[in-house]
Amino acid sequence: MPASPETPLLQARGLTKRFGSFAALSDVDFVLEPGEVRGLVGSNGAGKSTLVKILTGAHAPSKGQVFLRGTPLPAGAPLEMLEAGIACIYQHSSLVPSLPVLDNVFLGRQPTRRLGFIDRRTQRERAERLIAEHGIEVDLGALVGNLSTVKQKEVEILKALALNARIILMDEPTAWLSRSEVTKLHRTIRRLKSQDVGVLYISHVLDEVFQVCDSVMIMRDGRVVWNGLVSEIERQRLVDLMVGEKLGAASRAATHQERKPGGTGEVRLSCKDLTRRNLFTGVSFDLHAGEILCVAGLIGAKRSELVHSIFGSDRFDSGTLELNGAPIRIHAPGGAIASGLGLVPEDRHRDGLFLAHSVAENLSMVALNKVSRLGLLRRAEMNGAASRQIERLGIVPQDASRIVGRLSGGNQQKVMIGKWLEAEPKILILDEPTVGVDVGAKAEIYTILRRLRDQGTAVLVISSDIEEVMTLSDRIAVMVSGRILSIHDAGTITQDELVARIGGAA
Amino acid sequence: MARLRRLPNLPLALFFVALYVAFSLLSPRFNNATNIENILSGYSFMAILAIGESLPILTRGIDLSVGSTVALGGMILFDLSMILGLPGYIAVPAAILATTLAGVVNGLLITRLRLQPFVATLATLAAYRGSVYAISGRQLYPELGTKAIRDPWLLGVETYFDVGGATHLDRLFGFPFIPLSFFMMLAVLVATQIVLSRTRFGLDLKTVGGNPEAARLAGIRVDRTIVAAYALSGFCAGLAAVILVARMTTSTEALGTGMELTAISAAVIGGVSLQGGVGSASGPALGAFLLGVILIGLTLAGFSQYVQQIITGTILIGAVWYDRVLSQRRRRVAERLQGGEHASIA
Amino acid sequence: MRILIGNASLDPRRFLAAYALPIALVLVAASFAVAQPAFLSVGNLTGIVHRVTTTGIMAIGMTFVIMTGGIDLSVGPVMALSGLVAYFALQAPGLPTGAAVLAGLLAGMLVGAINGLAISFLRLPPIIVTLGMLSIVRGVALTLGGPELHQINGQPSYTFIGTGFLLGLPFSIWIFAAVALVMIFVQVKTTFSLQIATIGDNERAAYLSGRRVRLVKAMSYVLCSLTAAAAGIIESSQVYTASATFGEFGTELDVIAAVVLGGTSLLGGRGSVARTLVGVLFLGVVNNGLNILNVPIDVQLIVKGAIIVIALAFSERVAARNQT
Repeated sequence: MPASPETPLLQARGLTKRFGSFAALSDVDFVLEPGEVRGLVGSNGAGKSTLVKILTGAHAPSKGQVFLRGTPLPAGAPLEMLEAGIACIYQHSSLVPSLPVLDNVFLGRQPTRRLGFIDRRTQRERAERLIAEHGIEVDLGALVGNLSTVKQKEVEILKALALNARIILMDEPTAWLSRSEVTKLHRTIRRLKSQDVGVLYISHVLDEVFQVCDSVMIMRDGRVVWNGLVSEIERQRLVDLMVGEKLGAASRAATHQERKPGGTGEVRLSCKDLTRRNLFTGVSFDLHAGEILCVAGLIGAKRSELVHSIFGSDRFDSGTLELNGAPIRIHAPGGAIASGLGLVPEDRHRDGLFLAHSVAENLSMVALNKVSRLGLLRRAEMNGAASRQIERLGIVPQDASRIVGRLSGGNQQKVMIGKWLEAEPKILILDEPTVGVDVGAKAEIYTILRRLRDQGTAVLVISSDIEEVMTLSDRIAVMVSGRILSIHDAGTITQDELVARIGGAA
Repeated sequence: MARLRRLPNLPLALFFVALYVAFSLLSPRFNNATNIENILSGYSFMAILAIGESLPILTRGIDLSVGSTVALGGMILFDLSMILGLPGYIAVPAAILATTLAGVVNGLLITRLRLQPFVATLATLAAYRGSVYAISGRQLYPELGTKAIRDPWLLGVETYFDVGGATHLDRLFGFPFIPLSFFMMLAVLVATQIVLSRTRFGLDLKTVGGNPEAARLAGIRVDRTIVAAYALSGFCAGLAAVILVARMTTSTEALGTGMELTAISAAVIGGVSLQGGVGSASGPALGAFLLGVILIGLTLAGFSQYVQQIITGTILIGAVWYDRVLSQRRRRVAERLQGGEHASIA
Repeated sequence: MRILIGNASLDPRRFLAAYALPIALVLVAASFAVAQPAFLSVGNLTGIVHRVTTTGIMAIGMTFVIMTGGIDLSVGPVMALSGLVAYFALQAPGLPTGAAVLAGLLAGMLVGAINGLAISFLRLPPIIVTLGMLSIVRGVALTLGGPELHQINGQPSYTFIGTGFLLGLPFSIWIFAAVALVMIFVQVKTTFSLQIATIGDNERAAYLSGRRVRLVKAMSYVLCSLTAAAAGIIESSQVYTASATFGEFGTELDVIAAVVLGGTSLLGGRGSVARTLVGVLFLGVVNNGLNILNVPIDVQLIVKGAIIVIALAFSERVAARNQT
């Protein structure tokens, strides 16, 4: 099809991606014009990353196609996507730490002379031109592995720009950047606009979306739920749509749920002035038995690092931790668990599950002594405990011997939570408990957490999902850039105020 | 100072010098021309093997079959010149071609059949050794077992050059005769170093090993790069075979047994990281000669062969430990500069 | 049966994957029997088991190490060392045989402890550490005993281990059977084994679940060296000789091949001692059958290589298909 003024720069039609029974994307259509900056927003697990992976060729879609100026692009072919002119600033590292910045910027495409010799002069010239154009300061000779995360992010930006692409995808590009670097990036985006480059801007930071994007696309549970100009939608409606009207109703109902700020009054965990250089500073809060405290914030607020420091899988430089009033030093997760703490980590695949093992085996890995005697496994008790958890958590299929790697995301999440419930912790910390989990399972997980709270457990939840925070919490702590800005009882802060505080309105 | 730090393997080179000095003090027979000749002729081929081995390791793989591949090359050389009577200038390239193909097979097993490099090269270690027995001219014609190869082209590999005489350096001190194998090693070293640091292929190797997913997303043909790495390892095995056969004037079925372990040791000592992405050509070569200096030095200093084994093993472990300490320190520096991600297990 | 099936439900593909090796074993054995009926003679069959005893015992220990995602290349020299240590202990007047055997086993465990320390606590790569130890242990053994073969004379209770008969079967087979049964039990029924498997599956998750990862990993290396030491004692008592040259290069590769054939992945995770034993038997049958058929050694080696490739490529394919 010949390119005509009506043919969009990039078009996706009917993109669908299934992983087993889980549909990460369902029937996604969208269009990107030259010089258009389109925002893509959605909660964790809405399918944004999957869409990016398809557009860069890392994944092939189960159904649907991508067109560049009307020509269909091959599926799952990174090289072809690059040659077609689609570049991406990745959320997670696409750099090689043992190579210098210069080589990383042109990764896989360093300019060559005859016989494959790298043309260092041309490479350096091009790189310096890029640096000058975009105002990024970085030492071209430094090894990427020795750079700070911020600088590495800037190298990723340079790398994408070096491709002279017609379309640039930016996946959470500002997650590690400070205010001034964000401004630099936005200036770059405006320059790209004027060069007719199409930009897909994926971000949690709604302020930025409203600032720099022309249009916005809202995704929820793998589908596009709204598509249009930024000027056509209000922030409140955008958040409502991100979160889904179905759950919106449920959450509105939930706001009438009984809230128990302060729980039973008994302080289980007390953090006093926890500080770790360059991560978090002066973090202080109390966690009570029988309450759910949500720590709200954006990626980059360092909430995960904080809880890992509390749990002993990481450390803090100064400050104290008190358990039931008594100061405590935790050196390893084993010690934390023995003291009654539990941590459900954010990345269930990397940190939380044994994908090649069965549901029953996964469920028993923390409280192993409960299902064993003298080092011998008691399979009957293991299966019994598993059946109980499967029942209570609603894990499907109800098969204790099923290999966890084959469960859906929501059920995997439940297994991971169940593993910690088996340990009967006095304090349970959950880091993004409903990431990549479908609506139904989300609601079930909320019920589980409320039940836990009602039984007297002190629950700390980290969540980037504003709706989730509003639904679930008895108290809300706002964390920005490593500091706790404020703590509110549920009902004393509106969703909009919360969003404002989190987005760095401070 | 930063420039100096950029010199590859500076600590290793210093260690090498220190060790050389130590051995010279320990034994008067160490630091002389004859001994240096021994070291050079005894370990140049190992340096070539180590350089070859470092390429698969750079891609986050490993090649356990180099010992068997050396034997394969050696036996092909033997058969071609002793049985078929082919002249050296045909037999040598043929043997090297064969070992290179053997390397290609390794690469294909890994990229097409998706076998782990350890397993694939373990299998070929057995299969190639078996092939050596299968084609062994010594078994087919036992009388050849005692005859020596006389081909001038092949024997020419075992030549010593009077560099001292030519440059008149021998007026200053006893200058060793330098074996051709050393110059071959130098050629391989320089060529590999240039490829690794100056060509796209070299960068691709490091990219594939340093971040395989990023390599794929950057459009690098990962499979082709991996096959090339193993092919080059096979090529180096062929060169080593030529050198060894020239020196022994024959080849045996057991040739090369255990050489892969020495080659891997030399590479690791030379700073090639088993995680992939980090390494050079000078490191493995230096590592090989370091091992040679240690073994010969220990022998001359009166240490038994057995103690040598203990010391060699300890140095290998020490080298990795040192490398790990360095990389941990680098990581801590980086973490201090940034807001680090979750630390890995203590 | 559950031991072999593990978690494979009655899904035909996974059934096939689980049973592929035993089936292949039967098929191969049948082919050999047809080609050379002498293959099935009691003498030959017990000969096979006899010969795989040492590899088999080592493979049992190696299974646990590989389950953690590691590897132990030093098992060969450990065999030699333990035989030597036992030999020297036997020279001490008045020392009971049992103590000599114990000394040999302890020597092996010491090596394992060093491996475990370096790999688990110093976090050094297993390949390199055990490669280095291979050299070190060999050197130690040679320093202790020189390259000579030391005759073991007049130690009937010691040599009974390798050459004695109990109820008509070689005593070493009884030992093998006992070790095998105990370790199958350990692998299936203990928390230790479950921890080993989960550490191999996801070490970080095991750590975050509060398991003592470093200790358990280190213990797997101690176990592996222990089995290597046992194999060394059996072998030296079989041939009435102790030597620092035993367990020659290639021993560890045979052991690893058996474990890998048995289905345990080199990347770590679930593993099965029972399946390793099938792998050991399989290799033993193949070796024996090829010998009986007078297949030259070169072809044997090629066949061995080919088998490893085919078996693993097949299981790769099955695993990949099971992912979707």
